[in-house]
Amino acid sequence: MIEIKHLYKSYGKQLVLDDINLSIPKGVITGMLGPNGAGKTTLVSILIGIMGRDQGEIFIDGLNLDHRLSEIQTICSIVPQNLAIYPMLSAYENLEYFGGLQGLKGPTLKARIDYCTEVASLQSFLSKRVHKFSGGMKRRLNLAIGLLNNPRILYLDEPTVGVDTQSRNYILEMIKKINREEGTTMIYTSHYMEEIEQVSDMIAIIDEGHLILNGPKQAILEQDFKVSIRVCELSRALLDRFKGIKAARVQDDCIRLTRDEDFHDNLIEIFSVLKSHAVEVIDIDSRDKNLEALFLKLTRKSLRDA
Amino acid sequence: MTKIFYILKKEFLVMGRDVHALAVLFIMPVAFILIMSLAMRDLFETHTVNQIKILVVNQDKSDLSRAFVQTLEKLGAFSLHHMDDESGFDLIRHNMFQDDFKFALVIEKGFSLAGRQMILLVKPSVNRQTYTILKNTLAANLAKTRIAYQLKGQEEMLGYAGIDIDKLMQPADTLIETRYVSKGKLKFKVPTSVQQSVPAWLVFSMFFVVIPLSNTFIAEKNYGTLMRLQSMNISTGFLLAGKLLPFFIVNLIQVVLMILVGVFLVPLLGGDALTMGDSYGGLLLITTAVSFCSISFALLVASIAKTTEHATTIGGVFNIILGALGGIMIPKFVMPDFMQTLSVLSPMSWGLEGFLDIFLRNGNVLDVMKESLLLSFIGLVMFSVTAFIIRKKLSL
Repeated sequence: MIEIKHLYKSYGKQLVLDDINLSIPKGVITGMLGPNGAGKTTLVSILIGIMGRDQGEIFIDGLNLDHRLSEIQTICSIVPQNLAIYPMLSAYENLEYFGGLQGLKGPTLKARIDYCTEVASLQSFLSKRVHKFSGGMKRRLNLAIGLLNNPRILYLDEPTVGVDTQSRNYILEMIKKINREEGTTMIYTSHYMEEIEQVSDMIAIIDEGHLILNGPKQAILEQDFKVSIRVCELSRALLDRFKGIKAARVQDDCIRLTRDEDFHDNLIEIFSVLKSHAVEVIDIDSRDKNLEALFLKLTRKSLRDA
Repeated sequence: MTKIFYILKKEFLVMGRDVHALAVLFIMPVAFILIMSLAMRDLFETHTVNQIKILVVNQDKSDLSRAFVQTLEKLGAFSLHHMDDESGFDLIRHNMFQDDFKFALVIEKGFSLAGRQMILLVKPSVNRQTYTILKNTLAANLAKTRIAYQLKGQEEMLGYAGIDIDKLMQPADTLIETRYVSKGKLKFKVPTSVQQSVPAWLVFSMFFVVIPLSNTFIAEKNYGTLMRLQSMNISTGFLLAGKLLPFFIVNLIQVVLMILVGVFLVPLLGGDALTMGDSYGGLLLITTAVSFCSISFALLVASIAKTTEHATTIGGVFNIILGALGGIMIPKFVMPDFMQTLSVLSPMSWGLEGFLDIFLRNGNVLDVMKESLLLSFIGLVMFSVTAFIIRKKLSL
């Protein structure tokens, strides 16, 4: 759906995107994680066609961004980081304005406004002026406007900035619902790991303009997964039994099993051996799936400090 | 067309709900027109002369001195207040300051004889022009009174010589007819304060679109709305043109409103009524040119400024300077020559001249062509610079 090849972008002498290569399949939510200033918004701005680039090729739905921009823009939409809405207008007037500028009119426009306000749960507030909205409602309206043209690709640039936990969860659920029901391909940028973990199918980690990791969320989170099994006492004979399992390391009274392709078989075998030798298991500890730890490992810095 | 409809609707809704913008665009110029039309009425008044108050002490008490005082009274330009003929200098001075007389005329004893004739006491704060006019008037009328006095009793003899003494002594101002010239047809209009105030404050208010326009535009720029619109395949040119049309309509409404105020409201408050020329084509042309220039100026300010406060300060200060320089606040004809020359630097001056051509000088399309072209040219330059800046900022 989205193909980025050798993308470079600089502001003056500062290189902000350095040889980005990324492939995003249709219908998935890609969580783009990175600290402020990592290049996430720049990348999204280039993809939506409002910012130029120094080098590289971009194909959206098979269309070359350089030659088919106007066509691409009709199937894409962006939910900007800022609240790109008019506070002095009502929610309906905002939706009508942005829908009208996208060429929607009459019953089509009305139907889209109805759908978008239903998704964003704003039906009861359509005639209310936006400056009277809460932060969460403004964010939902910002998102609803992004859905007006029924986009096949939706870029969400930190869409939950400044909202409370309840509103954030609502917005994340809303995004997952749209993806599930409409099959919309999404790029979701954030520096909140919890959001990325919650909403994404794929994860791309970007730092200082470099794409340092990307792939399916599960694979990324589980690649460093370990289970520690603490037992009462391990005999010499038992130690020899475990030597055959490459992913297992035994130290003192603890067996550590690293995740690999035989993980489940290995785990069953270890427990079978322990059972057959009547070894008492004191504790089982699985290493938590932790994106922050992964980010720390990759960049040697904490996301919040970056 | 549909997109233009939604742009117009949005701009008018946003503006209509902005009380401050409405006040700046409509209430402020109406107030200025009313205040300035009434306040400057005397400055333009040519029929009712504002009389100069003079204290008169006639110590001579001769027929000649009495005849001279009567001649002055007949002129109608002076309001003469007689003091006791024996009043001394200290009392005269006291009265001058107590009753706010700028002048006192003391006709000394022996006035009817040759030699020293009269003393004019003048306050230092007196305007030099007023003093000169008064002194020359006194001298001219003194000479005339003396001649009349000397010719007294010789009417019959002069009649034989074909000289009509009454005609000879006719007030000089009845011999002068005043005609105002206009650029176009031979019609003329008497310039009044409302003829100056309406076009002046109209041009000023048209340039004040800088406040609401820059406020909206900077909010759109800073809060990502322009970015969102760009992502909807809407070009920078269309975005800027989307500002031109609604604010042009606002400017048209301003023109109609200010004209109505000048024609109907000012007379109700005791001022003169605005009279318009008959060239509606010329009026539309100069309105369009001023509007394009003022909106381009507003867009340029909005594109340069980072915050709305910044834009309001830049726009407001520039407007006041351009207004002061361009003859908006002070009519150009009361400015010294070098200031009148400097006023051509202000586009507001070109706009004002254009409107004066229509309202006062009965000009037509051709008469306002020069001003309109100048305004359009400078407007085009500012619009192009704005487009360049916006494109550059959005594509960074």
